[in-house]
Amino acid sequence: MDAATPGVKALDLVGVSVPDRLHEVSLALAPGTLAGLVGPNGSGKSTLLQIAAGLLPGGGSVRWGGRPLGEIPMIDRGRGAAWVPQEAQFEFGFTVRSVVAQGRYAHGDDERGVEEILARLGLTGLADRPVNRLSGGERHRVLLARALATGAPLQLWDEPLAALDVRHALEVLVLAGEIKRAGRTLLLSLHDLRLAHRLDAVIVLHEGRLRAAGPPATVLTSALLREVFGVRAEIAPGLVLKLP
Amino acid sequence: MTPSPWVSRAAPPVALLLLAGLMVAALGVGDLRLGPARIWAGLWHHDELAATILWQIRLPRLLVAMLVGAALAASGLVMQAYFRNSLASPGLLGVSSGGAAGAVVAIGAGWVSHSLLVLPAAAIAGALIATGAVLILARRGTSTERLLLAGVALNALLGAVTTYVLSNVTLSYERNAQILFWLLGGLEDRTWEHGAIALPILGAAALLWPLGRPMDLLSLGALEAQSLGVDVRRLRRRLLALATVLTALATAVAGNVGFVGLIVPHVLRLLVGPEHRRLVPLSLIGGAAFVVACDLLGRAAGGLRVGIVTSLVGGPFFLWMLRRRA
Repeated sequence: MDAATPGVKALDLVGVSVPDRLHEVSLALAPGTLAGLVGPNGSGKSTLLQIAAGLLPGGGSVRWGGRPLGEIPMIDRGRGAAWVPQEAQFEFGFTVRSVVAQGRYAHGDDERGVEEILARLGLTGLADRPVNRLSGGERHRVLLARALATGAPLQLWDEPLAALDVRHALEVLVLAGEIKRAGRTLLLSLHDLRLAHRLDAVIVLHEGRLRAAGPPATVLTSALLREVFGVRAEIAPGLVLKLP
Repeated sequence: MTPSPWVSRAAPPVALLLLAGLMVAALGVGDLRLGPARIWAGLWHHDELAATILWQIRLPRLLVAMLVGAALAASGLVMQAYFRNSLASPGLLGVSSGGAAGAVVAIGAGWVSHSLLVLPAAAIAGALIATGAVLILARRGTSTERLLLAGVALNALLGAVTTYVLSNVTLSYERNAQILFWLLGGLEDRTWEHGAIALPILGAAALLWPLGRPMDLLSLGALEAQSLGVDVRRLRRRLLALATVLTALATAVAGNVGFVGLIVPHVLRLLVGPEHRRLVPLSLIGGAAFVVACDLLGRAAGGLRVGIVTSLVGGPFFLWMLRRRA
């Protein structure tokens, strides 16, 4: 079985739990889905992404493309899913190009597609600069580029937009659309609920539990926002930002 | 600053040439100076006086100096990647002190007379205990403050163990020399036996050689490396075992020689960049060259112990690094 087989989920979580952080969360994403993970601080978004990426041990089952994670050798996992951490800290001064090329580790370091991805993320001009000298937003784009370089059909990004200015954030959403159209699956956590409205699906976590999941228009209701985030939602005309 | 590709390419041959030059100097310099021609004659026993000096004194000392330098530099490089902190090193973390304490306890208990293997085994055991302590402390984070403070405590504690045991077991007239040797390191009176004890360093270096690429990924984050396909748990176990054994073997034959594992990888990183496929071989060569050079300096200065020289060079260097980070 693989992700191309009809009905097979790109990501399938059943009852995943981590003591005190995540309680019996189940969700499934079909290939070609662009899904957002929202919830207040401490609701378990990062934990869920790390479990989904196979980086954190926990109860329950994780499957990628129908295959239980436990059956996938470590090196194959590097091709199966890519994870982008929330923090982009680098101790050593690897060049941007070499960090992005690390995405090809599980492919025998073939460096295929690295230059194209650098160009796609506007990093070509920075390619020879050490990553520990970049701004926070630039470092995040390097991590996104490395995740894309893996070519993995499942992309798990932890708050990829938080460190980016509005233009780069919109560009990442465009990129997310391309990833989805290529039949790949992207689950990203985010705080901006207005941006979440542009995704296929949102998954709402609250206090480590799955509170709701589905199309944003049906999930992000005033009642739910009030209950989960403690805010009052209003639809009002205001500043709308788009790429030129 | 990004290192230029030209420097990166030139570094390995230049380092080898430098090491070769230092080797000739180390064999030539001493109470009886030997030129290259006499060294050559001595090596082949065409000059019996030179042969005696070389084969009995200078060659074993040179071999031990090179192995110790290579081991400490490689060990420092591994620890820096492991802890993602360029200030981590066997000396600062207390692993060298653990090796020295282990060796001294074995000497004090009289076990070393049983077998040539006892001394390195005891040093490895001592270094493992120190590594274990660092790991427990590092579980809550590997910030510079945390690692350095842990190292301060471990160094003081293990230094006290070393001094205490030596105070009780050595005769008074050689007590101070022994304590100095184990706490500050030295290469005096090294024999082929010490060279033999340190020889497994070559094996450990060979095992480290292919781990350069995964070390790159690990040095930018354990979870990140795992998500890219590195078997992080296995890699970390191997790296820690290799770093500990390398440090312990070096310490077993030369005492606690400081700062090599800090300086050599750092300078090389400035020269050729952070990629470990380059840094692993260069650290081995560079570490050997650095310790041989420090030993030469110490001998030229009238018999300063090599550990004193490395510390005199390394102490200010370390303070400079700390200041640069702040």
